[in-house]
Amino acid sequence: MKNPLLVQADPPPRLEREFTIVGKPLNRRDALEKVTGRAEYSGDIRLPNMLYGKILRCPHPRARIVRLNTADAENLPGVRAILTKENTKGWFTYWYKIPQIAFPECLTYEGHEVAAVAAEDISIAQQALDLIQVEYEILRPTLNVEAALSEPRPPLVGDEEYPGSDIFDRKEFIIRRGDVTKGFHEAEVVLEDDYSTQTQYHGTIQTRVCVASWDGKKLTLWDAIQGVWIAKETLAESFGIPPENIRVIVKNLGGGFGSKANSYRLSYYAAKLSMLTGRPVRMEHSRREEFLVHAHRWDCRIYLRMGARKDGTLTAISQKAVVNMGAAAWKENYFPQMIIWHTSNLYECPNVDLRQVGVFTNLQLTGPQRGPLNMPAIFALESHMDRMAEALGMDPLEFRLKNYTLYGADETSEAIYVTKSGATGGDGQSAPHEESKRIPYSSKKLDECMRRVASSIDWAKRKQYQVSKGERKRKGVGMASFIVFQGVGLPPYEANADVSIGHDGVIRLHIGVVDIGAGQQTIFSMIAAEELGVNLDDLVTHYGDTENTRYAPSCFASRCTSEMGPAVLKAASEARQRLFELAAPNLGVRPEELESKYGIVYVRRNPSLCMDFRAACRYIDPSSPIKGSGSRAPNPDYPNFATFGAHAVEVEVDMETGRVDILKVAAAHDFGKAINPKLCISQIHGGIEFGVGYALSEEGLFDSRTGKFLNPNFHLYQMPTCLDMPPQVDPILVEGEDPYFAYSAKGAGENTCTPLPAAIRNAIYNATGVWFNHLPITADKILTALKEKRG
Amino acid sequence: MSSKRSVSITVNGQQVAAEIECRMTLAEFIRERLGLTGTKVGCNRGECGSCTVILGGRSVYSCSVLAVEADGKEVVTIEGIGKEQSLHPLQEAFVEHDALQCGYCTPGMIMSLKSLLDVNGRPTREEVKGAIEGNLCRCGSYNNIVEATLAASRESIRKGSHEE
Repeated sequence: MKNPLLVQADPPPRLEREFTIVGKPLNRRDALEKVTGRAEYSGDIRLPNMLYGKILRCPHPRARIVRLNTADAENLPGVRAILTKENTKGWFTYWYKIPQIAFPECLTYEGHEVAAVAAEDISIAQQALDLIQVEYEILRPTLNVEAALSEPRPPLVGDEEYPGSDIFDRKEFIIRRGDVTKGFHEAEVVLEDDYSTQTQYHGTIQTRVCVASWDGKKLTLWDAIQGVWIAKETLAESFGIPPENIRVIVKNLGGGFGSKANSYRLSYYAAKLSMLTGRPVRMEHSRREEFLVHAHRWDCRIYLRMGARKDGTLTAISQKAVVNMGAAAWKENYFPQMIIWHTSNLYECPNVDLRQVGVFTNLQLTGPQRGPLNMPAIFALESHMDRMAEALGMDPLEFRLKNYTLYGADETSEAIYVTKSGATGGDGQSAPHEESKRIPYSSKKLDECMRRVASSIDWAKRKQYQVSKGERKRKGVGMASFIVFQGVGLPPYEANADVSIGHDGVIRLHIGVVDIGAGQQTIFSMIAAEELGVNLDDLVTHYGDTENTRYAPSCFASRCTSEMGPAVLKAASEARQRLFELAAPNLGVRPEELESKYGIVYVRRNPSLCMDFRAACRYIDPSSPIKGSGSRAPNPDYPNFATFGAHAVEVEVDMETGRVDILKVAAAHDFGKAINPKLCISQIHGGIEFGVGYALSEEGLFDSRTGKFLNPNFHLYQMPTCLDMPPQVDPILVEGEDPYFAYSAKGAGENTCTPLPAAIRNAIYNATGVWFNHLPITADKILTALKEKRG
Repeated sequence: MSSKRSVSITVNGQQVAAEIECRMTLAEFIRERLGLTGTKVGCNRGECGSCTVILGGRSVYSCSVLAVEADGKEVVTIEGIGKEQSLHPLQEAFVEHDALQCGYCTPGMIMSLKSLLDVNGRPTREEVKGAIEGNLCRCGSYNNIVEATLAASRESIRKGSHEE
């Protein structure tokens, strides 16, 4: 069979021996430096002569600067430079890949940047901010998404801009297949309901930070971002300097989860201030700033209508999702059909009419967060599936399996189109209504995931819990499934890797990715070491730096493993092949007769005929190390690629206080092969933390009149602590073959949080008999609902 | 308006004399003055626990203690409890149990837990959780951290009885 590994040029031959490294629960390579405090993060960099920067921010969600006076601040001893709209005209910073006015006159969200100061120390910089006088004309902000949908867009004032609004604002993106009218007609049970999800903040413990140093020609940036290469490119655009004169370094990152997907204004300002002063500049967000200006998860309102036959076969789904996009959106950070894509693909349903509309508001910036729109999508869909199951009198697990499919939609033939305006009712292009083609997934073991979590949680308890209603503390179990799209491979997600082997036996892996804490450098080193047949410690890995690496994707969207994996495998395989060509004549065999493992090169049929890998390296020309390189090929149109999983939970609800305790989570994930099961299981724990917070406690609160953010700190914005985590977690890795990826490994990161909120919600229903459709499910909502239920 | 004061603080066993601004926090003193950047400042307002150090035998948020309050006292930071060749049992257990991901909360976690183990070498699971309820970990390593701590405690007890 053809080897379909997604690489450019010929895929390498498959390893014919058993794995020696891949699949082992090894300790992460950076653990030692992290537990000793030696790990260097960008905020730890101290350069001689360094200045400190601070940013003055607009206190209103929408305002125009009428007057701006920096004279007093400039005169403060120790102030070295101030940037405002007055001295930066024509300069653009980048929001993902879209240019934004660096310092606009009209400000579109609370915390929008007004001025940046560099001073001898941080206290002077802060004092300088206090001395800058700004007079604002407060403009009427758009705060209410529903109201905005039925109003015309407010006229823009001055240089006011909402990047991406011409593409996305109030535009309906539609997935349509079959005929929903017919589908609902065929249905014997039809059910509709509304769901809503809240804003969620990443809450990385490290706030965004940057140290920039300009030496007159070259810019070096120690940034806090999830991808060094995308930062390098946009910085080059912003400053009009060649990319080769920019170096971006992220040695360690203190959490990302999507919030650090790209460089923020902070980094551009630090660079500009360094260029102006000729000195390095350090800038860091305070916790409040981090809450105010980093792009949080969209709050959504989702309407769902489902129809099924009595036997549980789905006949029609219609959906309308409204997303609050805040003040900016772009193709890499807003996904105009992501919510509806999940509804289209998780189950088999011949007739769907699914609509997603985004609305621009003045409520901060929005963007990807661990399972970006998957979280609201799956919460609504998997909540509704449980309601349908009950209406049908079916077991929710049985109902899910009844509509199970190994196929996904063919997006190229499916009717995805855009209407110009949701408000005017849609005048989009005509949609093809013919039966769309279905394309199989490269691998899918979701059925096994569902069965495994059901068994782990003891699913039979569900019936028992449903009838035992006497006690103050009631238990319940619930489950939910998910699907997440995998890999792209096209720019800006192009993935390259290089391996070099020197005469001295030093093996280097060069990967331009950041280790965001998920263990990227560990697993890519494991892939390379496996393919080379050396020990993991034999490998020196260069990562988190644009110097000595080629373009690599940012580590978000769970894409890094699926996109970089094949590139690393190919690079290592190519380097090994070249070494075998040098070693073979010295062992009296042909290169294809050789194999290597544990740092030994040997003849496959006669392993006693062997030499040390290092000894073989002595045949390498000292002036010309061996090089192997690999590049990922883009996803083909066929088959579909995705990862899957299911969570089942057991909760206990206190009927008098509304408190929910999660007793156990069983989490089964199908992401192909676990390169390092220890790290995969840590990802599952991480996903559970995000899921628990999203389900029960986290929510950004805004004053409905002024639009100001009310809880920008860890005291009022409640992320789970160790006391909130389920004491029992059963992580289940459902492994399988997927020859398109490196050793079958796909992304295991962000998707681990996706099904948990719906599973918790379904379990709370099992315990209390109340459906909660609006996240987060806080104690006060539970108490109010229970009171209403009692009458 | 500048008000400076001389302090003498023992940090990781070494006495440090310095003249500092009265408003300087202990976290700033440790990071900016001494260059011990293992201590992280995640919120600078006593909410996340990443800046935890041990002051006079008790764990404190170093962002919420003034450096002058540490005058004459002993401070232990992450750099002071074990080197790579001679790790503290907690550090060893953190590595083994993958009790960290991004690593940013890790120094604070370890210092909170060390302060627990120093006074209670055989903590229960609930006591371990109690010791870190004021430390946030957004990567969700909590369960692994608890397991690592219990393992470190067992290991210390085993080594202790072996030495006897």
